[in-house]
Amino acid sequence: MKPQLWHWLAPALMACLWWGLFGFLAKLGSADVNAYDMQVLFTVGTIPIAIYILVRRAGMQASNKGRFIGAVIGIFAGVGGIAYFAAMARGKASIVGPVTSLFPLVTVLLATTLLKERLNRVQMAGIVLALISAALLAT
Amino acid sequence: MTWLLASLITIALWGVVGLLQKLGSQHSTSNSLMLWTTAGYLLLLPFLFTDSHLLSLPARAIVVGVASGLTNGLGAWSLYTAFERGARASVAVPLTALNPLVTLVLALLVLGERLTATQTAGVVLALIAGVMLSYEPDAT
Repeated sequence: MKPQLWHWLAPALMACLWWGLFGFLAKLGSADVNAYDMQVLFTVGTIPIAIYILVRRAGMQASNKGRFIGAVIGIFAGVGGIAYFAAMARGKASIVGPVTSLFPLVTVLLATTLLKERLNRVQMAGIVLALISAALLAT
Repeated sequence: MTWLLASLITIALWGVVGLLQKLGSQHSTSNSLMLWTTAGYLLLLPFLFTDSHLLSLPARAIVVGVASGLTNGLGAWSLYTAFERGARASVAVPLTALNPLVTLVLALLVLGERLTATQTAGVVLALIAGVMLSYEPDAT
């Protein structure tokens, strides 16, 4: 494996592991916590990471644009999460899970059109397979 | 709000988040982006206390809820690092979205759950998709 590939692939797989653990914890989470309370607890859980970054004070460079985008990510991800919990509460998990797992499609469409990202054919086919498998796994 | 509308809002917001995470990484280090993402979460807090039963929650629910935020945050931080190192959003976002694979394996090992036929097909496809998404013969 090319080292430059591993350079970004390693943290991406790490993200996959952490989020898989997150999914497991969400599965354990009791059903009687409402979407708002869940988001509050969730936010409390992210604070130690922010404190760690603040205490180390390393690699904190950002333009105002970067800071603004970061805050918007937090707001959008949070509201998206609340909508997800609301969908889960109103519909069947076996349907809402697979439907919401299609969100990477939106990212791919935006990244290829707005950021002009180029993919090879194997990766394009991989995206289709990934979407199908994500929907199957979420059943 | 119907489940479908709520699901579509989720897809739209999380889909845009994937793009913003890549875009943000071009204007910020992964550390700083993580810090400001947390700031965004904090901005939402005042709106969340309108329907709160936090004080009556069992301790287990609180521990699991906080731990889920921690693991989710560590995941986002890792993805920001991948973007900082040149990962493309159109590859890294579908790749990290295969994370239910890890959840299933944990449920299998820890909770002793069995896979349904659909989930087994999903596991096989996820592994193939993961390899295909990482295929970069002309990696730069």
